[in-house]
Amino acid sequence: MSTEAPETASAPLPEVRVSPAPRTGNPWLPTPHGVSLVTRIELRRRRPTAKGYVFYGILFAIVIAICLAAAIFTPPQLSSTNFEIVLVMVLGVGMLIAPSLSATSINGDSGEGVLAPLQMSHLTAGDLAVGKLLASWLVSVVALLALSPFLVYTFLSSGWRLGEVGLTVLAILLVVLTFTAVGLAWSSLAARAVASVALAHLTTGFFVIGTLISFGIATLLVTEEAPVRERYIDWSTLTPEQQSALDEAYMTGDFSALDPDDYTCTESEWAYNVAHTDRVAWILLVNPGVMIAETAPLVDPETWEQDGRAEPGVFATIHALVSDARLGPDQEIDDFVPWDECADLFSQAEAQEMTQEELEAMWAEDEAEWRERDQARANLDRAPWVGIGVQAVLLVGSLWIVIRRLRVPYKNLRSGTRVA
Amino acid sequence: MTITQDAPPTTGAIVATGVARSFGDVRAVEDATLAVQQGEVTALIGPNGCGKTTLMLMLAGLLRPHAGEIRVAGADPRTDAAAVRAAIGWMPDQLGSWDNLTCLQTLTLVGEAYRIPRATARDRGASLLDRVHLSEFADRPARVLSRGQKQRLSLARALVHDPAVLLLDEPANGLDPRSRVDLRVLVRQLAAEGKAVLISSHVLAELDEMVDEAVFMSKGRTLGDQATAMVADARLKYRIDALDPAALHAALTAGNVDFEITETGAVTRIADAANAAQALAWLIGQGVAVHRFGPVGSALEQTYMAMNEERR
Repeated sequence: MSTEAPETASAPLPEVRVSPAPRTGNPWLPTPHGVSLVTRIELRRRRPTAKGYVFYGILFAIVIAICLAAAIFTPPQLSSTNFEIVLVMVLGVGMLIAPSLSATSINGDSGEGVLAPLQMSHLTAGDLAVGKLLASWLVSVVALLALSPFLVYTFLSSGWRLGEVGLTVLAILLVVLTFTAVGLAWSSLAARAVASVALAHLTTGFFVIGTLISFGIATLLVTEEAPVRERYIDWSTLTPEQQSALDEAYMTGDFSALDPDDYTCTESEWAYNVAHTDRVAWILLVNPGVMIAETAPLVDPETWEQDGRAEPGVFATIHALVSDARLGPDQEIDDFVPWDECADLFSQAEAQEMTQEELEAMWAEDEAEWRERDQARANLDRAPWVGIGVQAVLLVGSLWIVIRRLRVPYKNLRSGTRVA
Repeated sequence: MTITQDAPPTTGAIVATGVARSFGDVRAVEDATLAVQQGEVTALIGPNGCGKTTLMLMLAGLLRPHAGEIRVAGADPRTDAAAVRAAIGWMPDQLGSWDNLTCLQTLTLVGEAYRIPRATARDRGASLLDRVHLSEFADRPARVLSRGQKQRLSLARALVHDPAVLLLDEPANGLDPRSRVDLRVLVRQLAAEGKAVLISSHVLAELDEMVDEAVFMSKGRTLGDQATAMVADARLKYRIDALDPAALHAALTAGNVDFEITETGAVTRIADAANAAQALAWLIGQGVAVHRFGPVGSALEQTYMAMNEERR
């Protein structure tokens, strides 16, 4: 590319010769040099304006107030809830800022006329896509660092171990990265920044709230009717004497005077609803919030004190609720004792003989069953993998869209736009 | 305006044949054919919306043509876009600058985008800013630049990687008269360095003094030989004004010279400067009181105006 033409006298500064390495083909894969360069360019040129600093200032004032409250109201004993609130704040701030930035990154640049000059350089579509993604995401990482004093302070009394914090923070950063990439994809698809920002937040909303609604609807679909057969005494067939004798027995609790043969039993069948949530629980696991909660440590509701944990906090509660859905209907079906008036009638006498101790034992058994269920829910294996898989697919898919849309020569343009 | 050299008809730096591109129903470029040689400045001239920018985008390898062949520095933008990008310096018609960054930072970063080491890119940027007379703005953010200054920054950006081919889309837009002259000088320098320059502009008088070749476009088509012939013809035209037009007409008729009558004299065709000097001496020798004698004006403008009136 260099020419031998002599430098003319009109330029006092000597011309600097450059000889960029020749390149061929139409590469699109990201390269370390290109990605870091684009990230640097983006971070420099997207320094907030005065208004931007005011916005960030207000946002951080609110977040820091909440975090301060969480830190100040940390009870003397271990409590993970405060720490988890700070984690949720980190996630919230990240999800608010990074996708908003990335969602204006491509159509905004194109509108300003600064995208095409970079596409004309040796930067590949992959360099631009990944560089822009990282630049927006890094802003959220800065937000995490800004909140780290609160994280550290609340962590100290949370009962979490260090490795577990690392895991959950990684999960949060992955979710932010994914939705930043989704924003970038919308930005490469929509011509207008307003549209792409709205679509980016709608996508986030769909995954955070939409999955819960979908789960609710899906639960209705997997709700089955379980038949129950009941037996009762048909009063219409009884003579007045028999009726009054039965009434008498109910009133006094003394059934000995009754003769079973006098009372014919009628059977009736009806149905009650059983929701097989285990079949649709995966919808919940798709939710990024659930995915993050599923990376949190398990807290046993019975033994947390011995385990050196705080009592179950937000994340453990989410895990328990999700596990409940994953486990599906309880043994209720098997244990459901249909009402059988005829059988009851003649066993009442025995029940009366039950002593206080026996009753208490029965109650204790019931309670133990409940606790067992609680423990089973809380200790059910963590299931973040569905969520992580969905995040990975979204991340890779979004980047694929962005790279396709950034590759030149363009086959098609966003409607209503020019190249630039 | 002279034809600088008759380079042997080797492969041009830019060769486009039968290029077409449409956007939906709109056929922006229907049939464009042109060749730009190394060391030459070629103008791309046409009314607004005739497809100049679209054609330039296709030549730059930003837009895929629907039909036709393009070679830039011997490479096909469709399959070898990287080589095309390495060879092309593109100055877009849309002014875009990183408002937060200084001019020098801008050029340094663009240089790095072409894989030039940072220190070299910085030096190169400084020398380019000097070349487009923006040195005093080197450390000021691009947002303080005026339109014309941004235009010059954009030109410097196109030169960062020392490209062999330059595509300048409306580079004279918004430039003050002084900067236009500077631009003209710079473009001629670049051509003298052996670069091929394709330049589009509406300031035809400006182009006249800058370009070696002209390609006219109308309704998405390049007008080939016909327009070239018109330009060549227009370049021959001389205007002669005399105090007594009738005497001038009589002398010209007597001398067996073809001419067109104008209100104040005549227009005739003269091959070159030597002939013109001779003709003037002869006229004065004939006793005609000539008070104006010179080329009619912009050959490109004449051709442009002579072309079918077309406005979109």
